[in-house]
Amino acid sequence: MGDAQRDVVIIEGVRTPFAKSGTALKDIHAAELGAISVRELIAKTNLDIHQIDEVIIGNTANPSDTANIARVIALNSAIPLSVPAFCVHRNCASALEAITSAYERIQSGSSNVLIAGGTENMSQLPLLFTQRFANLFGEFAFAKSLTLKLLALKKLRLSDLKPRISIMEGLRDPFSGLMMGDTAELLAREFNIDRNSQDQFALESHQKAVAAQKSGRLDPEIVPVFVAPRFEKIIQKDIGPREEQSIEALKKMKPYFDRRNGTVTVANSCPITDGAASVLMMSRRKAQDLGHKPLARIVSYAFRGLQPERMGLGPVFATAVALKKAHLPMSAIELVELNEAFASQVLACLKAFASDSFAQKELGLSTKVGEIDPKILNVNGGAIALGHPVGATGTRIVLTLAKEMKRRKIKYGLATLCIGGGQGGAIILENEEN
Amino acid sequence: MSVQESIKLTIRDSIATIEFDLIGEKVNKLSTPIMARFSELLDELGRGTAQVCILISRKPTVFIAGADIEEIKNLKDTTACMAAVESGQQIINKIEDLDIPIIAAIHGACAGGGCELVLACDYRIASDDKSTRIGLPEVKLGVIPGFGGCVRLPRVVGLEAALDVILAGKLLPASKALKIGLVDEVVAPTLLEKRAHDFARSLIDSKRTQKRKKTYTPSGVVKSLLNSFIGRQVVFSQARKGVVQQSRGHYPAPLEALNVIQRTYGMGNRARALKIEAEGFGRVGPSEVSKNLIHVFYLLEGAKKPPPFVKSSGVEPVEIDSAGVLGAGTMGAGIAQLMATSGLSVRLKDVSAEVVAKGLEAAQSIWANDLKKKRITSYELQRMSSNLTGGMDFNGFGRLKLVIEAIVEDMEVKKKVISETASHMLADCIFATNTSSLSVTEMATAHPHPQRFVGMHFFNPVSKMPLVEVIKGAQTSDATVAGIVQLCKKLGKTGVVVKDSPGFLVNRLLFPWLGECLFMLQEGMAIDKIDRIYTHDFGMPMGPFHLMDEVGIDVCAKVSKVFHQAFGERAAVCELQSKIIETGRLGKKNARGFYVWDKVRKQVDDSVYSDLGLSTPHLTSISNGEVTGRGIYRMINEAALALHEEKIVQSASDIDVAMILGAGFPPFRGGLLRYADSVGSVAIVDQLEMWASKYGARFTPTHPLRNMAKTQRCFTR
Repeated sequence: MGDAQRDVVIIEGVRTPFAKSGTALKDIHAAELGAISVRELIAKTNLDIHQIDEVIIGNTANPSDTANIARVIALNSAIPLSVPAFCVHRNCASALEAITSAYERIQSGSSNVLIAGGTENMSQLPLLFTQRFANLFGEFAFAKSLTLKLLALKKLRLSDLKPRISIMEGLRDPFSGLMMGDTAELLAREFNIDRNSQDQFALESHQKAVAAQKSGRLDPEIVPVFVAPRFEKIIQKDIGPREEQSIEALKKMKPYFDRRNGTVTVANSCPITDGAASVLMMSRRKAQDLGHKPLARIVSYAFRGLQPERMGLGPVFATAVALKKAHLPMSAIELVELNEAFASQVLACLKAFASDSFAQKELGLSTKVGEIDPKILNVNGGAIALGHPVGATGTRIVLTLAKEMKRRKIKYGLATLCIGGGQGGAIILENEEN
Repeated sequence: MSVQESIKLTIRDSIATIEFDLIGEKVNKLSTPIMARFSELLDELGRGTAQVCILISRKPTVFIAGADIEEIKNLKDTTACMAAVESGQQIINKIEDLDIPIIAAIHGACAGGGCELVLACDYRIASDDKSTRIGLPEVKLGVIPGFGGCVRLPRVVGLEAALDVILAGKLLPASKALKIGLVDEVVAPTLLEKRAHDFARSLIDSKRTQKRKKTYTPSGVVKSLLNSFIGRQVVFSQARKGVVQQSRGHYPAPLEALNVIQRTYGMGNRARALKIEAEGFGRVGPSEVSKNLIHVFYLLEGAKKPPPFVKSSGVEPVEIDSAGVLGAGTMGAGIAQLMATSGLSVRLKDVSAEVVAKGLEAAQSIWANDLKKKRITSYELQRMSSNLTGGMDFNGFGRLKLVIEAIVEDMEVKKKVISETASHMLADCIFATNTSSLSVTEMATAHPHPQRFVGMHFFNPVSKMPLVEVIKGAQTSDATVAGIVQLCKKLGKTGVVVKDSPGFLVNRLLFPWLGECLFMLQEGMAIDKIDRIYTHDFGMPMGPFHLMDEVGIDVCAKVSKVFHQAFGERAAVCELQSKIIETGRLGKKNARGFYVWDKVRKQVDDSVYSDLGLSTPHLTSISNGEVTGRGIYRMINEAALALHEEKIVQSASDIDVAMILGAGFPPFRGGLLRYADSVGSVAIVDQLEMWASKYGARFTPTHPLRNMAKTQRCFTR
């Protein structure tokens, strides 16, 4: 291994509570959610803001009023004007990409102190006009005479006014034409995952999340959101986990994507969610110089592509490579965060991880990647309960993993997620003794 | 100063340029020699070949700041006043009477005489720089525009807009000046001179080099109606009502300006109109009010400079760019809002999320109001509110340059919090307390570095009150004080340095007054009568009982006790003080005080008298003069001790500045001690002695005041 001084370490991280779309955070702009998490990260770490080299933020919706939302977040976090900032977009793994981009910069020596994170407000995804309407609007606006204006107006049909719903477009794979939920149905069929086991998995996600909330285990990673401008609401806990969730209630849900034969319901999928997360990353040397105690070291990471319609299996593909880079067997991993886009998708991954034939056929390995014990998987609940603000989740799972590793005093942990469009991302952390 | 070099005339290609750049002065101002020189140049211009003339300043942020205030100050009588303005009027008339058009290229402050000068020009082009502010602030110095401003402004912008500017002494930004027609065009500062030249050239090329008489023409039905004869009478009577209400008769200048405008508006004979204006100036110019207002102007200008010890001690004040505020109550939230507005990164901490949220909401509502009033943009609001974050823990305190506490006024609680907070802070961070009554020196013992512990006493409401008392504890270092004074300036406040002592300065001087008014209530005076005498006769912004209701009667009682303990019989407490507490009256905060409160102050609560065991007040028991004297002389008596014996402030100016900015002491009286000088120390001591024998030892003249009377010395000269 290389120079320990150039080890890339995560010092600390925070996130806003994650709130189901249309609830407590719906009126807070993604830039403000991001700024809340970055400001609180700086406060929590007492970071000297003049030490920051760059800010990297993941975001998928790119709100049109905050071009380069990372820069907006940095400026609204009192980070010096001279510190640059940029956005990364790797769909569901955007906020993991922010961390891995930071990793590369620190490891290469080009940066020493970076803030990485992600933000998303899915409640605020806009309704759009059709391109035909936009063309007509342009024609009308630039028409030089009243006659020309009327001519343009005459071409307008009622159907042109039908909005495009950007969130639905975003959740549809543009290559295969399938909705994300459709890909989950495909995996359920391929891996023989019945409705009951999906519902059971969803129930456990809620139960684990509720238990974590009650024990206060998630509190150290969550910062309160004081909801401006009236400040009547102070959000300090995730809005998603349901204590009253039951198998009966889950069973009652109708399949959403394939209404006749399907097994994937909105209740055994992750909800559309608003939230932001960020982490402070440094080279080990810089952390020592500035007197910051690291939380975890990044051992390796990997992204891998696969068929867009099987995107849910992405974690298996990416993890195989990350483990290889880390020279670690799966058995060394004592804690796993595997993002719960859909219950069927997670269960499919578990089967694929444990399958020799899958490994041989799909990954070019001689044997399986290795089983994941359900007992070490998403121990504080996953996205089905906590939610999945697409551009922020990548940082959230790394943060949750690192904090739980510290609590459990274990050595290695894995955070991995599937990525719409047919990719997987995985990152392996090593606990820091201190 | 070379007058010749200060204004220059150059002529090139038929375009003349007159440049103002007063040698050895920071600003351009119209002193007598400068005006004389300007007059010469205008004569020269009249004889020359130029076809257009441009007036421009070479100062970075000033066009012409106005007449020389020093000269106005020295105008002793009506004759001198009239002579001064008439000679100015004649020179300004020359601009109007020249054959060629004159273009004023305005960048920077263009006030008073400067504005009157450009009003006589044919065209006015202004830069859109922040420093460009155009208007007639004369009434703020107790005089009226005397170089033709009262006559010309209404002609250029119309009656309504002119009254708006002149009666309030407003300075307008370029955009507003353009809107009312005070300037013809607004351009970027870098383009100003070129634009003026191009415009001059276009006038020559198109042979439009005759004079232009721009007169206001109303547009739209409403404005036309208001400009009609009857409309004007309505405008004048409304304006008069407004002025009388605002000035309570203490400030004669706006009324005089209104009279002049009413008599001259629409008058064809320029000489007669200007004569009326000069006579008006002659009436207000020599008045004591004007001299006092000029004195206060100098006082406040002086207070903007760092205190003398900062220079002499050679300390480099720390730059404070971040702050923590402990306590999210009214004061804490106000301080946090102010600091965030000024660009500091602020962390507001309190024990519960709910209290923090309330503090954040209080700050937000001030910004929201500023947004509504268009004082800030939505982007500025976003930036300001981003500067303010709240929390319940000490997160972020390890990177702050300053922490200020605004928690409960309890020495033990404060000490505990200070020592706990200090352990979370950088070693070189300054700690400030917003206490209004506790000892800063004692509090500092809880801090590991008492030299970096200081008092920073803000007044309520923080966003509006311009004063901060900077309290120097026994061990507070000069560098700490200098840093805080500099911070006050950054926050747009005036910091007055006061040595740690009971009640500091403003409250110490206010309380003898408030206390005395309770004695007078006990003697049978009516509450509203006393309040009215102080507001309407003397000019305080708020009467004593109204003020006690605002501050909180319980707080007043507590502070009175502190003073009594510290100062003994000089600070005797009227027995009504404890009686009123027993009636459960707290003032505005529980809607029960000397007055009935229903969000705003209503009539006197008549049950107060019987609750206090007083008979219904007989209205005329004490003369108005005695009412004001008993309150104000006790303030003066205390001030003499604070200034000359305890030396808690450095100068009489400090006291006058602090009382004007912190207690609203009427500016037209020139400040507490200038007022004392106008009465005379001998008269005050004699009066105090008489009252001492009649009412008690609280009136006994203090040693320093007695000494002043013996030697017939003044406070302020």
